Amino acid sequence: MLLTRKPGAPSAGAPSSGLVASLARGVSRAIPTMDRRAFLRRSGLGVGAGIAASQLVLVKKAEATDAAKAADGVAKKVEVRRTVCGHCSVGCAVDAVVENGVWVRQEPVFDSPINLGAHCAKGAALREHGHGEYRLKYPMKLVGGKYQRISWDQALNEISARMLDLRKQSGPDSIFVVGSSKHNNEQAYLLRKWISFWGSNNTDHQARICHSTTVAGVANTWGYGAMTNSYNDMQNAKAAIYIGSNAAEAHPVSMLHMLHAKENGCKVIVVDPRFTRTAAKADEYVRIRSGSDIPFLFGVMHHIFKNGWEDKQYIADRVWGMDKVREECLSKWTPDKVFEACGVDEATTLKVATILNENRPGTIVWCMGQTQHTIGNAIVRASCLLQLALGNVGKSGGGTNIFRGHDNVQGATDVGPNPDSLPGYYGLADGAWKHFAKVWDVDFEWIKKQYAPGMMTKPGMTVSRWVDGVLEKNELIDQESNLRGLFFWGHAPNSQTRGLEMKKAMDKLDLLVVVDPFPSATAAMAAMPGKPEDQNPNRAVYLLPTTTQFETSGSCTASNRSIQWREKVIEPLWESRTDHMIMFQLAEKLGFAKELVKNYKMVQGKGGIEPETESILREINKSVWTIGYTGQSPERLKAHMRNMNVFDVKTLRAKGGIDKETGYKLDGDYFGLPWPCYGTPALKHPGSPNLYDTSRHVMDGGGNFRANFGVERDGQSLLAGDGSHSLGADLTTGYPEFDHLLLKKLGWWADLTEAEQKAAEGKNWKTDPSGGIIRVAMQVHGCHPFGNAKARAVVWNFPDPVPQHREPLYSTRPDLVAKYPTHDDRKAFWRLPTLFKTVQEQNKDVGKTFPLIMSSGRLVEYEGGGEETRSNPWLAELQQEMFVEINPKAANDRGIRHGDWVWVKTPPMAAVPDFKGLRLKALVTERVDAETVWMPFHFSGRWGGVDMSPYYPDGAMPVIRGESINTATTYGYDSVTMMQETKTTVCQIEKATA
Amino acid sequence: QATAAPADAVPKGPPAGFVAPADPKPGESNAERMRSQPGNNAPMWRAVRDSGVQPGTSNLPGAEQGVLIQPFVQYPGARFTNAGEAWRQVRNQWLLPYGGSLLLIVVVALGLFYWRRGPLGHDHADAGLVIERFTPLERAAHWTNAIAFVTLAISGIVMAFGKFFLLPVIGSSLFGWLTYALKTAHNFVGPLFAVSLVIVLVTFVKDNIATVWDFKWLVRGGGLFGKEEIPSHRFNPAEKGMFWWGICVPGIFVVGSGLVLDKLLPGLDYLRGDMQVAHMIHAVASILMMTFLLGHIYMGTIGTRGAYKAMRTGYVNEGWAREHHALWLDDVKAGKIPVQRSTPPGGSRPVGDAAPQA
Amino acid sequence: MARMKFICDSERCIECNGCVTACKAEHEVPWGVNRRRVVTLNDGVPGEKSISVACMHCSDAPCMSVCPVDCFYRTDEGVVLHDKDVCIGCGYCSYACPFGAPQFPTNGTFGLRGKMDKCTFCAGGPEANGSEAEYEKYGRNRLAEGKLPACAEMCSTKALIGGDGDVVADIFRTRVLTRGKGSEVWGWGTAYGKPVAGAAAPAQPKATKS
Ligand SMILES: Nc1nc2c(c(=O)[nH]1)N[C@H]1C(S)=C(S)[C@@H](COP(=O)(O)OP(=O)(O)OC[C@H]3O[C@@H](n4cnc5c(=O)[nH]c(N)nc54)[C@H](O)[C@@H]3O)O[C@H]1N2
Ligand SMILES: Nc1nc2c(c(=O)[nH]1)N[C@H]1C(S)=C(S)[C@@H](COP(=O)(O)OP(=O)(O)OC[C@H]3O[C@@H](n4cnc5c(=O)[nH]c(N)nc54)[C@H](O)[C@@H]3O)O[C@H]1N2
Ligand code: HEM
Ligand code: HEM
Ligand code: SF4
Ligand code: SF4
Ligand code: SF4
Ligand code: SF4
Ligand code: SF4
Ligand SMILES: [Mo]
Repeated sequence: MLLTRKPGAPSAGAPSSGLVASLARGVSRAIPTMDRRAFLRRSGLGVGAGIAASQLVLVKKAEATDAAKAADGVAKKVEVRRTVCGHCSVGCAVDAVVENGVWVRQEPVFDSPINLGAHCAKGAALREHGHGEYRLKYPMKLVGGKYQRISWDQALNEISARMLDLRKQSGPDSIFVVGSSKHNNEQAYLLRKWISFWGSNNTDHQARICHSTTVAGVANTWGYGAMTNSYNDMQNAKAAIYIGSNAAEAHPVSMLHMLHAKENGCKVIVVDPRFTRTAAKADEYVRIRSGSDIPFLFGVMHHIFKNGWEDKQYIADRVWGMDKVREECLSKWTPDKVFEACGVDEATTLKVATILNENRPGTIVWCMGQTQHTIGNAIVRASCLLQLALGNVGKSGGGTNIFRGHDNVQGATDVGPNPDSLPGYYGLADGAWKHFAKVWDVDFEWIKKQYAPGMMTKPGMTVSRWVDGVLEKNELIDQESNLRGLFFWGHAPNSQTRGLEMKKAMDKLDLLVVVDPFPSATAAMAAMPGKPEDQNPNRAVYLLPTTTQFETSGSCTASNRSIQWREKVIEPLWESRTDHMIMFQLAEKLGFAKELVKNYKMVQGKGGIEPETESILREINKSVWTIGYTGQSPERLKAHMRNMNVFDVKTLRAKGGIDKETGYKLDGDYFGLPWPCYGTPALKHPGSPNLYDTSRHVMDGGGNFRANFGVERDGQSLLAGDGSHSLGADLTTGYPEFDHLLLKKLGWWADLTEAEQKAAEGKNWKTDPSGGIIRVAMQVHGCHPFGNAKARAVVWNFPDPVPQHREPLYSTRPDLVAKYPTHDDRKAFWRLPTLFKTVQEQNKDVGKTFPLIMSSGRLVEYEGGGEETRSNPWLAELQQEMFVEINPKAANDRGIRHGDWVWVKTPPMAAVPDFKGLRLKALVTERVDAETVWMPFHFSGRWGGVDMSPYYPDGAMPVIRGESINTATTYGYDSVTMMQETKTTVCQIEKATA
Repeated sequence: QATAAPADAVPKGPPAGFVAPADPKPGESNAERMRSQPGNNAPMWRAVRDSGVQPGTSNLPGAEQGVLIQPFVQYPGARFTNAGEAWRQVRNQWLLPYGGSLLLIVVVALGLFYWRRGPLGHDHADAGLVIERFTPLERAAHWTNAIAFVTLAISGIVMAFGKFFLLPVIGSSLFGWLTYALKTAHNFVGPLFAVSLVIVLVTFVKDNIATVWDFKWLVRGGGLFGKEEIPSHRFNPAEKGMFWWGICVPGIFVVGSGLVLDKLLPGLDYLRGDMQVAHMIHAVASILMMTFLLGHIYMGTIGTRGAYKAMRTGYVNEGWAREHHALWLDDVKAGKIPVQRSTPPGGSRPVGDAAPQA
Repeated sequence: MARMKFICDSERCIECNGCVTACKAEHEVPWGVNRRRVVTLNDGVPGEKSISVACMHCSDAPCMSVCPVDCFYRTDEGVVLHDKDVCIGCGYCSYACPFGAPQFPTNGTFGLRGKMDKCTFCAGGPEANGSEAEYEKYGRNRLAEGKLPACAEMCSTKALIGGDGDVVADIFRTRVLTRGKGSEVWGWGTAYGKPVAGAAAPAQPKATKS
């Protein structure tokens, strides 16, 4: 038997010497003894008699908040609520045990096919959210440098009045709303709607500074900008190359699947400037210079093409333009050039190529190491090209496994606040607006009226650049007024680069509103005195306490596109209100509440009424056809959450299973209905576990590359080759996407019901409100509604159609800058002038004064800007100090020893003479090479060596504070998406004497 | 039907370009070994074993967090094993059984001695000189020290041996409570003992320096087994021996190690290894000290008539002095040593019967 | 009777500290007291390996045999537990424990350490199973609820397995066979008196002296 209760019988300590044993025996023979428990009872001295109780007690119990306290003395009410960890995109499920409204325990969900009960530190410490001791407890306003408590009414009134004021003076685009990837899908979607009704596209969220280059690069290569397969599917891989991902720290539970694969023979390769903990688990570790992924990848592909290891049939059928890439790899990226640019020799690239050739299918994993560069969009495409050359995309065990970031960054990207698109990547063209006006049941002209003339279809600014939106000369920006008001609605300030300038911008604002359970990083930065000349005397700063995802319900999309429904665990803590309630209440004051919630059922929440999340999801289901967010009705999602046990861990597919509550048959569904889950819920599309997989029927989650870039280019067809199609498709050639015309042409129009015909007339599959076109294409004819085309090896609409290596703006290698210079400056790029060449030219020789490559990334215990996790004592104890990793050689040259205080200095500090640099601890290690240093980016609360603790709102300061690397980061943005450059810049390090 | 092995099953030798991995070598790092002999993690397991000497890293701050297993050592009397286990062996197999036995033997021996011989010396009527043998300062120091010592000894004994003789009798809750109280007392009285011991040592050191006379005394065994005591100075050589070897030397060790165990000495890391060594020193020295002082206490109480009174009141009469410290009495009589060294309260000194009774 | 043991598979452990925080959260262990910790060897260089350590619940437990007040006891499942009401905070168990498992809430000046705390294998203490008093002193008693240790249950890569010694050894043996390496079992030799040789678990656990 595995488990028994504790026995009553005691055991004596084991005497270890003969003499002692005999002494003890003698004594015990002399005096009749009794067993230990009898002792305890008999001795009558109760628990801890006479001993300070404080020493005994281990446990600090979670305090019940007012709501729960009322239940005191009443019989215990214990409930289990299923939720999902909010700290990364793996999406680990958690069972929260709630006793009388207090979150008292957390149990692993062994049934979850994603995590099988496993958690990393953050997930295991999730219950701290039920304590929330260090959270903002009530609305606050900055008055005379100090935060003062105010009422919700006052806060909402003053904020909305200020907003209307700004609108009158400077138009709706004078406000920028930074949304959040921590919002659930419903909140993210509602925020996009909210800002549209306000009349601006000036909104964005974390994806911009996270995977925007991936989304753009990958979508433009083959259709959708998402992880193609799943963590689970990686169990099928024979080879895996992690390049620019440190999954062991950033996606720890994904390693569960990868290590299992490795035990079954999968070869693991890690390519990273740092010897990471992921590298520690690899069969091969390759060190490259930060920012040089393209030379490495093309160096590997050089061998693949040279040896004819590419999958020729696959390329012929499914890839357009690979010959150009082949040419590029063979002629340009010869081993000497590769070595020069990335530091990897021929033997190593050959070895990697050999492993990938011999072990198929293989998968590639990338993350921030590739995306966060001025050439991020090109790097990620190079990775796609490697997989296309090997024929690995659209296969189980293959694919591009792009590990996303925040728990719902995928969802927020899909349906949330993006400056260049309405939900579902519909874009901002009139057609898109009309589609949504219809879904929202509002007048297109009314929305148009909310916007400044002409601004409705023009992409807004990005979160990476809001600082310039405030500071840039007005005549240089591509909108009427500068930014004057800013919302940080679930986003940290220390995650964006150029912190020194951000401080200036923050001081200049008229209105700053932080809507966040942990707004303190922004709050402290705003309250910290800056330069008097930057200070706007009329600035108003408000902090609004919102709830975490455990105080509301809603859906969130994991990296593998599975959507999971979170139940509400506890009532909102303190005075906090849910994000969607705040949106609604502000809309009431701003005058568009009626339109905003027209389609929703309103329910009572703590602090007022709010839209029911289920009904928001239903609106998403009715509108987002493009990426198949339509099949995931709340009922289906909830059935999945209740019946996780029926899903297979490797395939994610349900084997049988009927939901007890609703009678819903789960059989055949993939867990979480990974999008695209096409058509209406009634169509019962099972979701798509692996994208573009032609070996399955489309109604089984199969697919092919998307026809999104026309049907022909340079006289060549862009459609898939004959015979290349998803299993069982009626059309065995390539075909374009479906619309009413194509259906008619194919003679399939009659397959639509009469009602469907009426709705579909003049529409395509993305705008047909009944989903009829999709139904007929998929269910009746086994065809993919988005067509069947080739992937594009050459993305002609990007600055570098074939990915080109370009040196970062701040490079320590002038020789390479000369050979691989960056782009030309851009004038109005996302409404702002954007510099490339000018900055690079000016800093050609920056390596002389700043000889170290500065990179940054993640620690397993902390997340993002870190305010949330650094406020969690269970996590904070494990990382108590901000540090910089520095190689022993670099340290010795500077007289630095392990544990010393050092100053990190970067070029922007020249403009702020009284700023001494970042003061932090040196961690001397061979993890990095002698040219590179690395820092975690999760810290804030120290500024140039000064403690910011006086500037925090009372009671809302995190447990651990430290210097933020982004105070010191430099200028530099991706040439397509405005991604900030955080992985490759320069610095100098000095030993701190005092 | 027997078939020849297919052609491709015949070993063809390594493929072109194959470089055989280097032979595994003993001193390799784990990384090197992973290449030379994949799957053999011996260097890593050596590192585990050596983590006491070359600790790994751990996110938790604090000393020894990177130690997976305590370093391997050989303490006297223990096997070569990890320090924790070695220390347990020393404590449980040597210090406790033999230390305990030693204490028991001494107690039994003293009992036997008392049974056979009874108290030494004679009762003396208060006649002739009443000499101040110990000043109030000396007595204060002595008694503070004595009380502290006894507290420490009792608490120490309970900590070390209580579980064998007390626990079975009074049950664990009561025993735990009692030991907790005694241990806490031990921890605080220890430093007090240290201070009073210094005063005792300083005040008595002058008269405990050996002289030629002491040899004669020693040669004749102090007359312990004869009828007459051999004349001695203020303290006889047995007392002097006790002073140096029973109090001074072990005292220094006990106090030093005790202060380490109490984490009172600044600038130390108090690693487990330090504590084990301190403990072993403390235990050995304190057991030795206890055995000696058992003798001292015996002699100072029931073992010698009149001695206790001397330390209690400070005064002895001439008869007692003649019997036990003839040479000292001579000096007093000769005026070399004042009869009264301290200024008595009220200016007068107790004489004869006026002296307080024990 | 099952004999509870831990295995930490260093081929899998990624030093994510999930086990450490799982323990903290499950038992609300205060700052500074860590029943479990993760140690990394060769940190930052090829060959890096991590191991998660807590109390191993030794067969012949040194802590138990040096405790002046004999407040340790062993359950039928081989779990080494102690009684905080009896503990005097002398620190001896921490000197004796090879693995550094015993922890104290205060720093020990004047010998004041507070009551010792260590991993209970999630089996609580001498108080009634599942009682409030037990929870407040020792944290949850998961074994009594039919659950295994929180740390092992939540380990992100299933590197840490805890439970019936025979079962965990079986799981581990299978894993070793598939991957053909990494058969060494951390700490078993020291804790359970078997040579560090490998996954081969004693069919009959070495009899405990109880
Ligand atoms: N614990 C924890 N987990 C997280 C998060 C967190 O904050 N904390 N955040 C989540 C989010 S938002 C995201 S986006 C993901 C990010 O997950 P990752 O991208 O895996 O994490 P990072 O540490 O930012 O970067 C990964 C690696 O990129 C390497 N790198 C740097 N420059 C280059 C380069 O030029 N080329 C290559 N090939 N590699 C390079 C770095 O050395 C680093 O090891 O993690 C998610 N998970
Ligand atoms: N130097 C450097 N900089 C980087 C990176 C890097 O690798 N290096 N990585 C970049 C990447 S990939 C990312 S994704 C960003 C991450 O950076 P951020 O996303 O800015 O960091 P977080 O601290 O996770 O911010 C999330 C905020 O949302 C709040 N929050 C949590 N739940 C909710 C909710 O339900 N509602 C609301 N309203 N708020 C909520 C949290 O309290 C927190 O303040 O950082 C980027 N910056
Ligand atoms: C400066 C004086 C002393 C100090 C600071 C001191 C301190 C200590 C400490 C800290 C311990 C460990 C137990 C615990 O943590 O409570 C200890 C144990 C002990 N001490 Fe002392 N002590 C002192 C003097 C003495 C003396 C004078 C004796 C005996 C006469 C003594 C006998 C013992 C004994 C027997 C033990 C128990 C050993 C065991 O259980 O193995 N100590 N002492
Ligand atoms: C209950 C315990 C004790 C008793 C009853 C006791 C009794 C006495 C007596 C009666 C004397 C006087 C002997 C004489 O007149 O020659 C004496 C002397 C002395 N005692 Fe104690 N004593 C005790 C404990 C201690 C302790 C713990 C110490 C030190 C660690 C100590 C140190 C001395 C010293 C130094 C002298 C002076 C004699 C010399 O220096 O040789 N005593 N004690
Ligand atoms: S942070 Fe990510 S890997 Fe860790 S428990 Fe949460 S979802 Fe899972
Ligand atoms: S690991 Fe340490 S504390 Fe646990 S039983 Fe063994 S000796 Fe005792
Ligand atoms: S600290 Fe407590 S449990 Fe440890 S040996 Fe001392 S009394 Fe026993
Ligand atoms: S078994 Fe329980 S008490 Fe022990 S370390 Fe694991 S979680 Fe903590
Ligand atoms: S949870 Fe598992 S993988 Fe993570 S540190 Fe602990 S033992 Fe290692
Ligand atoms: Mo991210």
